[in-house]
Amino acid sequence: MALAKASLLIAVLLIWQFAGLPDYVLSPLEIARHFVQALGSAELYEHIGASLARSLPGFAIGSFLGAALGLAAGTARWFDRMLSPAVFLTYPVPKIVMLPIFMLWFGIGDLSKVLIIALACFYPVFINAYYGVKATRTILVWSALNMGATPASVFRRVVLPSAAPMIFAGMRVALALSFIVMFAAEMINARTGLGYLIRIAENSLRFDLMYVSLLSIAILGYAGDRLVRFTHRRLLAWQEQPA
Amino acid sequence: MLLNRLLPFLLVAVVLAIWEAAARSGLWNRLLFPSLVNIFQELVLFFTNSAYLMEAWVSLYRALGGFALAAVVGIFLGMLMGRSKLVAGMLDPFFSGTYAVPKLALFPIFIFVFGIGSLSKVALVFLECLYPIVIMSYAGARSVNRVLLWSAQNMGASRADTLRRVVIPATAPFIFAGFRVAVPVAMIVVVITEMVASADGLGNLVIYSLSSLKTDRMLGGGGHRDPRLPARQSGRPRARPVDILGKARHLLRLRGTP
Repeated sequence: MALAKASLLIAVLLIWQFAGLPDYVLSPLEIARHFVQALGSAELYEHIGASLARSLPGFAIGSFLGAALGLAAGTARWFDRMLSPAVFLTYPVPKIVMLPIFMLWFGIGDLSKVLIIALACFYPVFINAYYGVKATRTILVWSALNMGATPASVFRRVVLPSAAPMIFAGMRVALALSFIVMFAAEMINARTGLGYLIRIAENSLRFDLMYVSLLSIAILGYAGDRLVRFTHRRLLAWQEQPA
Repeated sequence: MLLNRLLPFLLVAVVLAIWEAAARSGLWNRLLFPSLVNIFQELVLFFTNSAYLMEAWVSLYRALGGFALAAVVGIFLGMLMGRSKLVAGMLDPFFSGTYAVPKLALFPIFIFVFGIGSLSKVALVFLECLYPIVIMSYAGARSVNRVLLWSAQNMGASRADTLRRVVIPATAPFIFAGFRVAVPVAMIVVVITEMVASADGLGNLVIYSLSSLKTDRMLGGGGHRDPRLPARQSGRPRARPVDILGKARHLLRLRGTP
């Protein structure tokens, strides 16, 4: 089985390396060489830092608000009736179209980018938190109330743990989205960051630089995803893990 | 009771009222907060102007084209992975490993490989939509109730019969859940790619309106005619038959390509 897993990857890499592709598709070895080279220079770290300084605060703000409001909307009926229609109505709208408007309102700098990332991250976390609360088993709530728990402790001890896995699933989606939106915002308009780097690399036909920034963003995305999953497993160790 | 009925609209109404008040107060530039009335006018113009409907159509066929391809390939791959341990062992590490990687970063390379026209955008939409569809149909095909499979086999169903009568119906809800994730993703990717590199489509229209500071058009996504100018000079050129033919050729080229 391990051989089957590795065989596809190895086959793809071998074909990629030796297929004689056009200039703009570098071979894996060349990409690795350029990447190691770039790791030695300070420039790449600056751009990575600039990108993370946009995506992480945006992700944090968006998921915090999403989780808080989603839990509130799932719990309190009047809040649900007030907020949910607006959220579900605007959910399928691609949030990146708000970027030009945010740029006019909040300036062309990092603030508008952080806010657009927060907006994009808000939706998946809100919706998952909302459905997570709704999916709480009624019998558990009844038992807790029956044993004399106050509404506050029902929320903290029953509803929150039951919604937590869904919130983490939403945060996984939000993290992937935060990288997409960060990258898009930087490609459209920025002076630093990986999106900017790939843009100038494309304009000056520096294919090595293009693949280096591509690889860095791939590694960042993968590492972020691992981190969310690791936290999930740590915090919710008591929960049955899906296979 | 009436209050209960109106509650869902309350927040929307309050936000809209604040917006309109901010637009009319004169505290902010009209360019930053165009009045809702103007936005609505733009929206009406948008739906009556064939040139702008064409932009919407361009965006729509890119999104739907990529989505449809992803649906066909994704369901096939996902079912295959669910039914065969070997295929799952080969493809699952690939899909779960690159799931969190923003595929959008590949766009500049796609431009070189597929050209700057529709094909690179459709290819990117395809790639982004493929992941949720594959992952959901894989999960669905894996979770088919064993007892149902055994009963079908026990009653003498062939492999094809089992697939058609048991596996596909059992997987369908998962496939549709994947579609629900993939459709907004398709729209997002289309708009972003059009904003980054395109000469047509809604994303391009938004960026174009921003650079010409037509914020009301940007928000409405429609065509604005400045009343101070004679009709013929203002706004963007009217749709000519030539344009539409060009777009039609564009479409045919896309259909012919793969």
